Amino acid sequence: MSASPSTQAPPATDLVRFAGVTKTYSNGFTALAPVDLTIGAGRIVSIVGPSGCGKTTLLRMAGGLSSPTTGELAVHSAQNSYVFQDPTLMAWRSVLANTELVSKIRKVPRAECRRRAVEALRLVGLENVQKSLPRELSGGMKMRVSLARALASEPDLMLMDEPFAALDEFTRDRMADELIRLWRERRFGVLFITHSIREAVKIAHEVVVMASGPGRIVETVESPSPPQADADAARDTDALDETVKYIGARLAAA
Amino acid sequence: MSIAEKTSTEQTPQTSRAEQVATPQAAARPKPPRKTPSGRTLLSFVLPPLVVLVVAVALWQALISVFGVPKFLVPAPGDVLAEIGPAIGTLVEPTLVTMGEAYGGFLLAAVVGFAVAFVMARWNVAERGLYPYMVLLQTIPIIAVAPILVVWLGPGPTTNTVVAAMIAVFPVTANTLTGLKSTDRNLVQLFAMAGATRRYEMGVLRIPYALPYVLTGLRIAAGSSVIGAIVGEFVAGIGGGQGGLGYVITSTAQQLLMPRLFLAVIAASCVSLLLFGLVRLVEVLTLRRWHESAMSHDD
Repeated sequence: MSASPSTQAPPATDLVRFAGVTKTYSNGFTALAPVDLTIGAGRIVSIVGPSGCGKTTLLRMAGGLSSPTTGELAVHSAQNSYVFQDPTLMAWRSVLANTELVSKIRKVPRAECRRRAVEALRLVGLENVQKSLPRELSGGMKMRVSLARALASEPDLMLMDEPFAALDEFTRDRMADELIRLWRERRFGVLFITHSIREAVKIAHEVVVMASGPGRIVETVESPSPPQADADAARDTDALDETVKYIGARLAAA
Repeated sequence: MSIAEKTSTEQTPQTSRAEQVATPQAAARPKPPRKTPSGRTLLSFVLPPLVVLVVAVALWQALISVFGVPKFLVPAPGDVLAEIGPAIGTLVEPTLVTMGEAYGGFLLAAVVGFAVAFVMARWNVAERGLYPYMVLLQTIPIIAVAPILVVWLGPGPTTNTVVAAMIAVFPVTANTLTGLKSTDRNLVQLFAMAGATRRYEMGVLRIPYALPYVLTGLRIAAGSSVIGAIVGEFVAGIGGGQGGLGYVITSTAQQLLMPRLFLAVIAASCVSLLLFGLVRLVEVLTLRRWHESAMSHDD
């Protein structure tokens, strides 16, 4: 498996570093055996694994919503954005108001909130539905609003918990392309949880394969066709297929 | 082959096959504004209940004629209609009295009910402490409490208002609390991660989210408060002032003035209906754009 040469400079700092991190809940359930994982600046890391392997626990820890039982967790990102499986929009607020939300809460000046939100909506191709309410949009469009809301807070780390899982396959494929396109513009780091191995390989620089009972990392696989800085660069789909098969086998064996 | 295809897609993402099928612009074209109910749709709403009413009244009249039911037991629709003229003067005042008590009690219940739910949603310990007593308040037969209130507050509108409020407060609190506590977990997380204060979260997220629940509670309370006011009047009487519809109902029943009793009952229903309608109007105005419960479903 030959990784395509990356055109980007090596990251100056790591956004998140898990070192021997474990998580045991108060009921005695061990969600995570010691885990080591690093997300470099501007890197897209996806996680695949069966339900209950601690994927979401990792994500929640990176987002500061949960803390490790033992081990060390260093988070250096200045600004995290969380994208959920559902669009998670306020049904009574307009697309624009929903997009401005996080900046508003963070007390960013009004004009700046507006500028960021409008820019983010333009990036996801929704500039002409700013005044619409979420229910007037399709599932894919709602997810775009959710992405725009995350972008509008100008994150250097995006935490994405199966963000496209609720979409139909067709829309889901397009959203993955969309994410790569946005990444090219903004170069945020991404921790991306998915159940789709193909999506994981397609989107990421590296794919973390996890197993359950207790949750642990089985292997970290470099993607043969990582997202390119240059949109024109060809991506090797044969190697991608091969990697998908390999990861599938690893998951089945784990 | 597949690589080449992939490459071309990457080069021109704006015109890829996927985008052509459903560009966000095309899908995002604003929907035509919802039509205001036309004459026909309005008729389709009004006609069915109207037909039922006419049939029911006709049946009522027919049964009385066929079986020769005496007027002092069941008045015919015609008798009730004929009573409107002579009775109207004696019914307006009691209707207004009952209205004042019921609506006052409703407002009191709305304010207290919301405040209690708010406190219970904000502090878990308050919920644990208060909820059993809210349930208790609801389970005590109001008719048993009314005499106690008469002793404490004296007979009259004040007591009746309090009885109305007591019976109407629980649905407001219970529904509001459910609404405030069932906010989307992920949205709550999002607010927390962005560093929102509890107050901001309440005002911007939880209260708007709870609004449909609050209004459902108010709708139930609208009916209850009128019941409360009339029960209060049954027990508390007129207390020196002008009696309400409850008083008219008891006194006309004792005198077997059936047509007038029927009119009093109809007036009480109207007091209830009007309040219910007002709440529903607020509900539709505030929620119709975003909540299923208030949308029109004719398209």
